[in-house]
Amino acid sequence: MAGKLMLFGKIAHNIPGSSIQRCAMSSYVRTLIGKREIVGFGFNGEPNYVDRTDFPLPAIRWKEPSPDVLTLREKEKGDWKLLSIEEKKALYRASFCQTFAEFKAPTGEWKSVIGLGLVFISVAFWIFYGMKVFVYSPLPDSFKKENREAQLRRIIDLQMNPVEGIASKWDYEKDDWKK
Amino acid sequence: MFRTAIRAQSLFKSALTVAKPNIASSSRLMSKHSTETDEQFDARYENYFNRKDIDGWEIRQGINDLWGHDLVPEPKILDAALKACRRVNDFALAVRILEAVKDKCGSKVDEIYPYIIQEIRPTLNELGISTPEELGYDKPELALQSVFEMH
Repeated sequence: MAGKLMLFGKIAHNIPGSSIQRCAMSSYVRTLIGKREIVGFGFNGEPNYVDRTDFPLPAIRWKEPSPDVLTLREKEKGDWKLLSIEEKKALYRASFCQTFAEFKAPTGEWKSVIGLGLVFISVAFWIFYGMKVFVYSPLPDSFKKENREAQLRRIIDLQMNPVEGIASKWDYEKDDWKK
Repeated sequence: MFRTAIRAQSLFKSALTVAKPNIASSSRLMSKHSTETDEQFDARYENYFNRKDIDGWEIRQGINDLWGHDLVPEPKILDAALKACRRVNDFALAVRILEAVKDKCGSKVDEIYPYIIQEIRPTLNELGISTPEELGYDKPELALQSVFEMH
């Protein structure tokens, strides 16, 4: 019983596909890929299909064999110069999902990224304005013009920062700013 | 119970010991610098693709392996690979290899790719392989909805 299980486990190794009739890793994998022909190792040994520039040849063909594809395959065994352009393209599409030009084409996603980013920033600005209008209390009286002028007069009278700061800019003989 | 398993294992082992040329034998060195010259590298891949009994699986294995290196393959390696595609009767494979060569050229595609095509043009004409440009596949033809956009 345990031996039978060990035997089943042994099937799932990288056996060169040419000499032995290749079966899928498990019947579950076979349900995923259907009747597609497994043609290579792929990039991780699983019979999957991914369009990748660094692994140009996936492990399975893209389309399942249909009567049209099978007749094309027969024609493929002959001289390729006899194939028309449409037949060549059909053969390509039977094995591959997208061409390199298609899957490398720019998506323009950067525009939606920047656009959505700016939208969220504008919403933040509106929230700041809403906070000012509805949430913050009014400014205290010390922010009024007359109060601020009185504060400045007091700063000058106290000679605050006399070396390099504000009192150094005041001319105490003339009682005015230095020219 | 275990005897059947051992017999099955020995069946698999005899199948596994089929003499199969290992394309990646010299890339198992532990240090970064290999002692293989450029000509030896080219010759190794060319001999691999020139084997008469190569099959589709091994062509794909060899190409995926070669593409892992930071280089554009020499025209003579591509000649051997395209002839191997002819032997296994796989036309789409040949076109895919040409597309992949163009991608491998990187930013210097305008200098390298026309040169490569010019060098392998005799093989292309002899086998009747169309370049992706002749099939109209240098520009996108069909659109595919991205799986990330499906809601």
